[in-house]
Amino acid sequence: MEAALRAIAEPNRRRILELVAEDERSAGEIAGEFDITRPAVSQHLTVLKSAGLVVERREGTRRFYRARPEGFIDLKAFLEKFWGEGLERLKLAAELEEGRRRRASRPG
Amino acid sequence: MPVDQGNAIEQEIRIAAQPDTVFEFFVDPEKMTQWKGRQAELDPRPGGIYRVDISDMAVARGEYVEVDPPNRVVFTWGWEGISNPVPPGSSRVEIDLVPDGDGTIVRLRHLDLPEDERAIHGQGWEHFLARLAKAAAGEDPGVDSHASGGPTKSA
Repeated sequence: MEAALRAIAEPNRRRILELVAEDERSAGEIAGEFDITRPAVSQHLTVLKSAGLVVERREGTRRFYRARPEGFIDLKAFLEKFWGEGLERLKLAAELEEGRRRRASRPG
Repeated sequence: MPVDQGNAIEQEIRIAAQPDTVFEFFVDPEKMTQWKGRQAELDPRPGGIYRVDISDMAVARGEYVEVDPPNRVVFTWGWEGISNPVPPGSSRVEIDLVPDGDGTIVRLRHLDLPEDERAIHGQGWEHFLARLAKAAAGEDPGVDSHASGGPTKSA
């Protein structure tokens, strides 16, 4: 998730993701959509690939890219962390509260 | 009730407190914000609102479905905002509090989450991920100090 969040922080990379969200596109087609240099586009594709957000397919010397939906949202992993950290804090807060209650109910 | 088990999240934790102590942390706004969110609006009865403001970019909202103190609480859940894969009310969180000696086992199940495929092909995933990034970064500055997992007694 960290790598994915870093990868999508860059506007050109978000743009690339939009381009390949529905259909596979060749590296040349993708580069044609940008004013930035081809090596820069290639670098962005490498970042997206290593973050698991796009998959690459080679056909001879050509490379094709498409979005990898399961890498992107990783919704389940995010929510597991969300609830997991929450429950850890719930434990701390509830145990403190229990301590207060026990002291309050103790006579004297 | 049929649920998509493959997409459910299940978590469990043992807490050294009685169920009635723990239960209040799911229904009392002041107690809720001790563990989740900065502000909470809670009306703990079926159909009542569950709204927890987690950060500037992330507000969780749903409705209570079952409120059975101190054993069980169920609420629907989602994020506010026009385009995201988990809108308010679209998923469901079930909490069971099971007595365990002088403590409580808390079982949390988050059900009916969207398939990733559906999420990505829905509109606005970019917007959603941007929200997620902010939520993840700013969710709660107190997390790290609690990372050890339990209070330790000082000598």
